[in-house]
Amino acid sequence: MEDFLSYLHFVLLPQMIDALIIGAALALVALGLTMIFGLLDVINLAHGDLYMLGGYAAFTLVGWGMGYWGALVLAPVLIGLVGWGLEEAGIRPLLPRADRATVTLLLTFGVSLVLRDLAQVVWGTDTHAVAAPFAGIASLGQIFVPTYRLFVLAISLSAILITWWLVYHTRVGAVLRATAVDPSMVASFGIPIRWVYRFTFIYGCGLAGLAGVLLSPIYAVFPTMGHDFLVLAFAVVIVGGMGSIIGAVIAALLLTQVQGIASLYIPPVWAETLVYCVMLLVLVLRPSGLFHRLGEA
Amino acid sequence: MPHLRRVGLAMLAIAAVFPWLGGAFFTRLGIEALLLGTVALSVDILLGYAGLLSLGQAAYFGLSAYVSALLYVHVTQSFWVVWIAVIAVVGIFSVALGAVAIRAKGVYFALITFGAAEILSKIAHNTRAIGGSDGLIGIPIPRIPLLPGVSLDLNSNLVFYYFVLATLVLIYLGTRRVLGTPFGSVLRAIRDNADRVPYLGYHPFWYKLFAYVLAAQIAAFGGLIYPLLRGFVAPHLFGFEVSTKAVVVSLVGGIGTLLGPLVGSVIITFLESVIGSYTDRHLFVLGTIFVVFVMFLPDGLLGLARRLTRDRKLAA
Repeated sequence: MEDFLSYLHFVLLPQMIDALIIGAALALVALGLTMIFGLLDVINLAHGDLYMLGGYAAFTLVGWGMGYWGALVLAPVLIGLVGWGLEEAGIRPLLPRADRATVTLLLTFGVSLVLRDLAQVVWGTDTHAVAAPFAGIASLGQIFVPTYRLFVLAISLSAILITWWLVYHTRVGAVLRATAVDPSMVASFGIPIRWVYRFTFIYGCGLAGLAGVLLSPIYAVFPTMGHDFLVLAFAVVIVGGMGSIIGAVIAALLLTQVQGIASLYIPPVWAETLVYCVMLLVLVLRPSGLFHRLGEA
Repeated sequence: MPHLRRVGLAMLAIAAVFPWLGGAFFTRLGIEALLLGTVALSVDILLGYAGLLSLGQAAYFGLSAYVSALLYVHVTQSFWVVWIAVIAVVGIFSVALGAVAIRAKGVYFALITFGAAEILSKIAHNTRAIGGSDGLIGIPIPRIPLLPGVSLDLNSNLVFYYFVLATLVLIYLGTRRVLGTPFGSVLRAIRDNADRVPYLGYHPFWYKLFAYVLAAQIAAFGGLIYPLLRGFVAPHLFGFEVSTKAVVVSLVGGIGTLLGPLVGSVIITFLESVIGSYTDRHLFVLGTIFVVFVMFLPDGLLGLARRLTRDRKLAA
């Protein structure tokens, strides 16, 4: 019994806390993906690369002497602007097409390849480190966690809560949810749908940028960092239900726990494979995911 | 479409004399283009006829390459036995995955196929017994017995090239034949309006599943040959780069034409080789081509050619 408790305390719990922190940051990426899909029917395959650009933006801005705090504020804004450009030049012209889900998926895939290669041209293939703004270690009942990781958790959870408040408790959110259900009805009330789409896209991409900044001191930044994270974020969005905000958050926390706990018993690379197997299982049993789409009850 | 036939015959004529124009390097590059063509053809059957976008067709290319490589190294040198084994393995896998993926509609299909290929790639990457990230090397090149006393020696580039070209032409003609039957018509009907087809008494699921398994077998044929060309297999064969390249070349050639993907894979393979000698930014080039075709030329080069000739006829 004693052994079991100390096992829980010193092996299982720290692993779960670590997974919780990564899960919260992953939820930010998944939130953007799921909101963009819920409103525009667009699967943004460049989302992982916007996350990557967020990391590089942090690296560059810190290098310019702006400091971590400047980067934390500015990088998500910059990535939001990149997202705006992508929406304006690429997505919008394709939206009227009947097969828009497919063509925008292809388009964002092409953009993803271009962005990844551009990152290699600009920053090289080497891994770059971003220094954490503080180095301390906090102890929570004899469990030691780097203070920065707790900070990442706090910021991620705040961003999730702000998003939730925005979508479910403000007028903007009401318009957003209504647009997800019936855009032409919303448009006939005189609400500019274009701006709703634009806002969603910029906001979603900004969240990916924020996640990129937050995780850059933990994982460092490299050109392909977006790809693996995107596949994971997709597993999250699929399990949670495409277009579901609550689903994305819960699934992100759930899948990272699965991965974190499983990697205690099996090699980490296999734990990652296990996550995809969970995804396939959910697809078989409940193809629409665990939760409802944005705007639906 | 008489227009397509002319393009096809012209292509075939060029392909037939091609090895005599370039050297061994270009002959082998030609083989590679034709093998990529099998994956592109399978993408086109799904996207152009069944309306299913697969982002993981490399799963079957890679699966088949690994199965055949393992069999050649450990079990048998008989091409025909290996092919039958590949057909069986790919058949089982594609029925199982297809049944799951087709139940999920629209973009989910793309994501599931993408995810499944990722899983296979990761498994190949992480399993020491099949070479891990290094893959398998030293695959012997078998002789392929055709008739009693007649066999093909694939050590010769020319024999290899014409063997692949001939089989691809057969696969192309066979696929066109299959898609020209009422089965193909039902498939197109499902693509155009999946909600109405059940009211006509057809069950879309089985039609899509058959198309999926057929497409998997065609991509698997490419995977069956690939280890013999390169002498090794590696996890990247499952990877998203092969899958997406197959979609790009189909898009460039023209979706829903069957011939377009073959044209596209030849053009892109050679373009990449040329670009590769100037720069290693091939992802950038590939991505840009992708974006340009999606946005401005959604019906591909064949569609463009058709529009140009039609305009000229109208003007005359």
